[in-house]
This record gives sequence, C-alpha cells and structure tokens, in this order.
Amino acid sequence: MSAPAAAAPAPASQQGARAATGPEQGHLAAIRRALPRHRGRPQDAAGLTTYVVLGVVALLFLAPFGYMLVAASRPMAEMNTFPPPLLPGPDLWKNIATAVRQQNIGLALGNSLIVSGIITASTALFCTLAGYAFAKLRFRGRDLLFGVTLGTMMIPPSLSVVPLYSIMADLGLAGSLSSVVLPSLVAAFGVFFMRQYLSSALPDELLEAARMDGATALRTFWSVVLPIARPGMAVLGMLTFMTAWNDFFWPVITLNSTNPTVQVALNNLGSGYVPDTAVIMAGTLVGTLPVLVVFVVLGRQIVGGIISGAVKG
Amino acid sequence: MSSPRKLSQPRTTTAAIAVAAAITLTLTACGSGATPAASSGPVELKVSLFGTFGYDETGLFKAYEAQNPGVKITYESTQGEDKYWPALQTRLASGSGVADVQGIEVARISDVTTNQSDKWTDLRDTPAKDSIGGYIGWKEPAATTKDGAVLGLGTDIGPTGICYRPDLLAKAGLPTDPAALAAQMPTWDAFLALGEKYKANAPAGSAWHDSAGGLYNAIVSTQKEIYYDGSGKLVYNSNPAVRSAFDTAAGAGQKGLTAKLEQFVDPGWDQGFSSGSFATIACPSWMIGYIKGKAGDAGANKWNVTTLPGGAGGNWGGAYLAIPASSQHKDEAAKLIAWLTAPEQQATVFDKVGNFPSTTGAIAKVEGTTDPYFNNAPIGKIFSRSAETSPVQILGPEDGVVKSAMTQALLSVETSGASPADAWKAAGTKISNQVG
Amino acid sequence: MTVQLDRPVPGDSPGTGGPVRLPWRSRLHAWEGRSAPYLYVTPFFLVFAAFGLFPLVYTAFISLHRYKLGSRMSWIGFDNYVWLFTNGAFYNSLWKTITIGVLSTVPQLMLALGLAHLLNYRLRGRTFLRVAMLMPYATSVAAATLVFALIFGRDAGIINGLLGLVGIDPVDWRNGDWTAQIAISVIVIWRWTGYNALIYLAGMQSISSDLYEAAALDGANRWQQFRHVTLPGLRPTILFTIVVSTIGASQLFGEPLLFGGGQANGGPVGQYQTLGLFMYQQGWQFGQLGRAATVAWVTFLLIIGLVLLNTRLSKLRGGADR
Repeated sequence: MSAPAAAAPAPASQQGARAATGPEQGHLAAIRRALPRHRGRPQDAAGLTTYVVLGVVALLFLAPFGYMLVAASRPMAEMNTFPPPLLPGPDLWKNIATAVRQQNIGLALGNSLIVSGIITASTALFCTLAGYAFAKLRFRGRDLLFGVTLGTMMIPPSLSVVPLYSIMADLGLAGSLSSVVLPSLVAAFGVFFMRQYLSSALPDELLEAARMDGATALRTFWSVVLPIARPGMAVLGMLTFMTAWNDFFWPVITLNSTNPTVQVALNNLGSGYVPDTAVIMAGTLVGTLPVLVVFVVLGRQIVGGIISGAVKG
Repeated sequence: MSSPRKLSQPRTTTAAIAVAAAITLTLTACGSGATPAASSGPVELKVSLFGTFGYDETGLFKAYEAQNPGVKITYESTQGEDKYWPALQTRLASGSGVADVQGIEVARISDVTTNQSDKWTDLRDTPAKDSIGGYIGWKEPAATTKDGAVLGLGTDIGPTGICYRPDLLAKAGLPTDPAALAAQMPTWDAFLALGEKYKANAPAGSAWHDSAGGLYNAIVSTQKEIYYDGSGKLVYNSNPAVRSAFDTAAGAGQKGLTAKLEQFVDPGWDQGFSSGSFATIACPSWMIGYIKGKAGDAGANKWNVTTLPGGAGGNWGGAYLAIPASSQHKDEAAKLIAWLTAPEQQATVFDKVGNFPSTTGAIAKVEGTTDPYFNNAPIGKIFSRSAETSPVQILGPEDGVVKSAMTQALLSVETSGASPADAWKAAGTKISNQVG
Repeated sequence: MTVQLDRPVPGDSPGTGGPVRLPWRSRLHAWEGRSAPYLYVTPFFLVFAAFGLFPLVYTAFISLHRYKLGSRMSWIGFDNYVWLFTNGAFYNSLWKTITIGVLSTVPQLMLALGLAHLLNYRLRGRTFLRVAMLMPYATSVAAATLVFALIFGRDAGIINGLLGLVGIDPVDWRNGDWTAQIAISVIVIWRWTGYNALIYLAGMQSISSDLYEAAALDGANRWQQFRHVTLPGLRPTILFTIVVSTIGASQLFGEPLLFGGGQANGGPVGQYQTLGLFMYQQGWQFGQLGRAATVAWVTFLLIIGLVLLNTRLSKLRGGADR
C-alpha cells in the first residue's frame, strides 16, 4: 500500500526525495519547500468577494468557540432565548470552579499534560531514530519493514481496543495512565514523517564526513542527525501532542472518572455526570483552551507541518 | 562506548540511553501513581451513585464527616442509571475505579445476587450486619443470594403517583385540585382521555405527559409479575400486562400526548420541568427531588402530586447501597451505609428530597409529611398508601435490560414514527441480543 | 532478528583481510555500524508490535470466542460471525456509517477545494485565515460535539432559532433520522474542512506555473484553468484525502456517542449508530467483548477492501489519463 505517500510533497521514492534537496538546506526546509513562491498558479490579488467569502467562512469556523465561551458564562435560561446573547456573562469563574470540583477537571488537565507529554517525547525520539534508519541507512529487510510501517499507518487504532482492554486488565493497568501512554509511545505516521523530512533535510555529505571522522553510528546520530532533525521533530511533536491531547476512544474505554484525562472528563460531562449545561461548557472551555493556546502561538509552524506531512495522524 | 571524540561532546550515546530510561521511569512512576495509596491518616470513602439519592443535597455526607473526623467522603453521581450501570460493570471487570460504596437500582439487584455475588461484600460479615433487619417485607430478601449473603442495604423504594402542573391544567380547563383530578382518572385510559382534553386547549408547546417511556414504567409499576414469572422465567414477551402497558404508552405517543423527551438523557427533558413542555409526569417518590433540582426555586408551588389512576399502588425503582469486594475500607464503608440507611436518615431524605423510605421505622415517621414545594401536597400519605397497596414485584436478573429496551422502543414510536408493533419487535431483538 | 547484514553506508568495515586482524576498536566500530540501523528501529517496532500489530491479530482470535466482560473466553468458532451477519442492527450501523460518511465527506472535500482555491489568491492576513481554518481541527471531538449538541437543540438551539426566522418549524435534530445524521456530519465537516483545504492548497501550489501560462496562452479563462490544470494536478491529493476521510468516517465514534448524550445506541432506533458505536455498545454496554471484537475485525476487513479499491481505481484512472 503506497497511498499515503501520494500526497506528501516529497514523494516517497528516493529520487524524488533527493531531487527535492535544494539549496535551502537549513531549518524547516521541507516546510518552506511545500509552499514555494515560484510555483503554482500565478497569484492574483484577492478581490473583495474573496475576502468577504473567506471572512464569513472564518467566522463560521470560529463561532462555536464564541458560543462555548458565552454559554460557559451565563445561566442556561439566558442561552435558551433567541437570539442568544453574544457577550460573555458574569458566571464564568463560578462555572469553571464547579466543573473543576465536580469532574476533576484540574486532575484531568494534569493527567492529559503527563500523558501527552510522554507520548510526544517518546514519539519524537523513537520515530526520529527509525525515520533516520529508513531514510539514510541501508540494511537487510529495510524495505519490508518500512512497507509494514506504511501499510499499517492507515489502520485505525480503535480497531484494537478489545484485546488492548483485555491485555491492560491482565496487566492490572486498566484505568491507569500507563494504559493510555503505552500504545501511543510510537506512531507509524511519525516514522513516515521523519523519514520524509530527513531524506531531504539531511545531506549525505554530512554523514559521509562523520564517517570519515570515525564517528560511531550512535555518535553520528546524536551530533549530526539530531540537530538537523530538530525542526521536523518539533513539528511532529506538536502534531503528536495535539493528537494525544484529543485522543478519545481508547481513553474513554480504559479510564474512568476517578482518574480521567481531559477527553474522558468531557465525555463524563456530556454523559450526565453534571446536569448543568453552563458547567458542561465551562469544562469544555477549560479542556480545549490549552491546545488552542498552543495552536494560536505556534499556528504557523503547525500549518506548515500539516502541509508538509499531509497525512491525518 | 569509546570512540574518537572529534565531533562533539562526550557521552552522547549515554545521554540518548538516559533519555529512553527516563521515559521508562516516568511511565512506571505514573503507573504506580494510579494505585490506591495505603491508608494513613483519614480514610477516604468513595461513593458512586446515580440520579438523586439525596445524601449530598440534604447534607448527610457532611454530617457524617462531622461525626466521624477520621472519614472523608468523595462523591460522584451519574444522572442516568442506563449509563451508570454499564460503566460500573466495566470498572468491576477491570478492577479499576470502583468506589467503596456503589448504588444499585432495584432492577439490577437480582443480577447482582444471581451473577455477581463474588464481586460484592456480604454485609453479614461487616459492621452493617445489625442494619439488615427493619425493612419492609421484600426489600432485603431481594438483595440476598441463595446462600444467604446480603449484598446491599436498602435505601428507598419507589411508590408512585402523578406529578402535575396545576397552572397548566387550569389553562386547559382541567381540575387543579389533587382529589378532583384523581376523581377524573379512575383508569389509565381515563388519564389519557384527560390528556386529549388537555391537548385541545393547552398552551402551545405543552404536551400532556413527558414521555411514553415514563408512562409505560408507571403502568407496569402496578403489576406483580412484570418481566419474570414466579419460577424465575423471563416472560416479558408473553406477559399481557407488559404488552398492554407498552401499547397504551405507544398509543399516547402516537396521539401526540407526550413531549417526546427521553428521560434523564435529553437536556430538553430537564428544561421541561421549568419551561412547561409537559403538564404531567409519572412520579415515583424519587422524582420529587429530581423535579426540585431541575425546576429550581422558581418552580416552587408550580407542581402538585396526586395518586396513580384509580388510586393504584405501584413501585417504580428504589435502590440499594453496596460495597464492592475490592474496597479497601469495607468496615468504614459498612458503617457509612448503615448510618445512611438508618430510619432517621431515610426520614430526613424523604422530608427534604422525596425518596420514600424502605425501613418500617422511617415509613412510620413520614406518614404525615407534606411538601411545601409541591403546594403542601401530603406526599407522606400519598406515597405511603401507594407503597402499602403496591404488589410485591417479582424481580429478575435482566430486569434492567428489558426495561431499558422497552423505554428505547417507545421513544422510537414517539420520535421516529415507528409503529408500536415494529418497535415491540425491535425491543425483543435488542433484549435477546443482550441476554444471549 | 537476523544479524546477517548488507553493507551499511557509514561505518563500513574496510578491507577483507579477515576481521581477526583488525584492532578491537575497529571491530567494535564495524559491528556498531552494522547493527545500528536495527538498534534505531527496534524501539519503534517493539512498541508497535506489542500494542499495534499484536492486538490487531489478537482481535481476530477473540472474535472466535464467547467473551463476556469480567469472565473467561470460551471457543465458539464462527458463532459471532453468524450472529453478526444475521443481525439487523449490524446492517443498520453499516448503512449509517456509509450515509454519515457520504454526508460528511463529500461536502467537506468540496468546500475544502473551494476554500483552497480562494486561499491561493494573494491575500492579506493569510496566516490568520489559515490558523482560523485549522482551529476546529485542534478542537477535540468531545468538545466540538458538546457545543454542537447545544447548537442543534430542539427547543433552544441556535439553528432552530435561525430556521424560525425564515418560518421553518423547530426540527428535532437529535431524534430524527436524517436530521441527526446531518447534525453529526456538520460536526465532522466543521472539524476537518480547514485541514483538507490546507492540504489542497499545498497541492495547488506545487503545480508548475508553466501549465497555467500555457493554458492562459491557449485562451483558457479562470474556470477552465481550474478545470483543466488545477483539478488534474490535484488528482493524487484528492484521492488521498478521499481515502483518509473515508477511513475517518468509518471510525466515527465520539460524535455520535456524545451527540446522543453518552448513550451507545445512536438514537432510539439507531438513527446514527455507526460501526464504531455499535462495537462499543456490544463490548462496553452489553459486556459482549467477543462480539465487539467481531465487529472490529469485520470493520478492519472493510477498510482494507476500501483502501485496495481506492488504490486500484486511482491506478486505473491514472493509467487512462496517460
């Protein structure tokens, strides 16, 4: 199965990757190359209509966030009127406090941070190791192993929840954060992503020079590969963090309200553990905010990462 | 690993290994962090319930903590029992997240005594053993296994009446006085005939009854034999009483007499207690507290209570408190549930919330209770009478499954226009799927 | 794992004089160079095998057992499959998965294409627009669904309020058949349109400008350029997004679960019960883990079939074009 590679800007084939190795060798090279200035349809300046349409669409995309904020800060009775109020009311902190108290939102935030943090670090490290091996080293079984990786990239992990559940229960891990972390320590997508990134960003000449210097393989990895891989790892890290933070199916099965991640807490909020809509929205807001902040701050890089990866995690 | 060090700092490989090791360590750390800490200092008792048991609302948890300085109670509640129970099953199976005290609905108690006796604590071996007596006839036997193990202490029972909105009924020209209203509904058919009258003159957007599912549960609540017969056979399919209740409720849904709101799930149902999208609702005693919670202070004096059609006695719901076998604090938990289910506390819960007591001592105490929130309705009298005249129901392990399937099927008649016959069939398939 | 090796690129051992005569440091060096690639991929494959591949295969094994939550497995052969393929609820959820999949994927990708086209103009505030388009993607399924469940409320939702302005009676989105599916599709469309638009944008910008210039010389107008240059150039990207979106649609779970207030039945008559939700209901509401595994395995086979079909179709179309 080679489908996933199709949309990646740098084709999976070696030639494609080599050809893409342009003069822009440095940081975020792959990402910049994904948005070249001198290719594509000659760019006309956008007309008024374009701005209006895009403005309306952006508004529609952002409106639910506004609704979340307003509904989290007013009694439900006020939201039941039409047209609903557009500005936040006075109850935001009270509702957030209630959500934190009733659904362990504070604990959930901490848990999500731990879980997403570990998953991000381990994915970035292990997938870079494997991606480097697949991109630059020749060894027996490489193509087969990479084929397996690619082939399973598209298999949704939610199909494995029954055995995962029984394995975790046998290990006595069901309900613990480890049960969420372990299956997500690595991702096939990450290997694919880092392989694409390194095949174009890491010049063979550098590896050759390291070899001439007599560096060991691990030393080469540490001092030559890692520094160059770092921008790619950062993008992979951000995507992984977001995916891990938002992971729903498996955590909902293995965790429960006594030790939840944010998504599990939100699921409980929406499943009648808390009957007050304003409190539900307050919890939703608190659980969404961290990712949104990361996203607004690092939006540029994440957009670039998605474009260069072009694969749904 | 010694090698020429021309390229960069020393010990880089070691560092890489250290990172990997650190991750592994962190993992192990958070694995162990999830296991319960050894008990030192105050005992933390986790209580996990569904719906409104009334302990938090009446401050009983706080009172217990004050009397027992060594105990701290953490409490969570799921609104719908349909969601509470499967989640509890998952927790029991994986042994994680089970509280020290769990609520069990009466429709599940037979499942517990028949299939799960190994997962729950026999209260005869705990400080709660002295509290097992004192209940009305059927309550504790239902929580007792064949071998005599008592797995739960009764909290409330569900004698049932009809709650209604006098203001809305007045607008439609119907009687607003409980006795006058009761006189006009000697049977369920008469109740629905009133509904037709209501519909003709009702304010816009207001239906006679809240849901077909609620109506159905109220009708079957007056039966002795519901889903099981005396020999323990599952007979919902051939029991004419069940089918007739189903058809009556489905008919009401088809005629537009219900607000088509799913109980405990649809946010619109909660809103309906204050907004008036329905004028009547079948009212087991525990619904009293639910209405108060949802309609809030503004809803005071908006609701009243009368008897079931024909003054019939019925029982819908009621619950037990039980201690999972995995609890680390069985003795403390047993003391807590013995206290919570003692007559004084049962009476307090009834007075302030409405859940009707299951101990004879408490029932005697609440005979004369009236509820100012409900226009001073004599709820003590209404529910006592209902409890006295209610038949002793035969319970079975799949009661909860069947009940939930029936309710869902009726919702499909109301909202998706499914024919009652199709919906009945679909419910049957669902049940056999789940029981098999 | 085999230690028999090809020549690795860096750190290859020099000469053929026999390894015995090499100084120990060089031998170690050579060994390290050859084993390094395996060392690099080992952590990935260890975890991957334990928590990715093994559970997948084990799912098939479990599907041949009666396995109730909290008890042991017992072999029942293909009974679960017989149960599944004679079960109306399974076909219902399969059908709903397809309809919700189409309802969410088709508008989503078409909107994304249009948006990408507009974003491809020279724009002020480009970054803001792109980030705005992607904000929904950063939002979790749970959060998005909780908000939209309110927006689609029957008695107090904004959508019904807006419909009321143009004289349409309130719609019971939750309990209707198509209405619930549409509402769920809207959630999916909201979350993924911006993401796909960016992917299309990347695809558009990698099409050579020579093609556009040539088309312009031939007198092609904007629309014709879009039709004859942009669309063919985007074909691989479009196929890719179709595959990914289809797989995503087959896995819809959180949206229907929370849209139904946390119930796994997908509405009273399963109006919006997807395969994912059906599996969850079997396993964690009914406690029938064996049946849940059967649903998972059949879904897996369906996905494989879909992907193969897509690849085959893309090859056929691609071949016909050249």
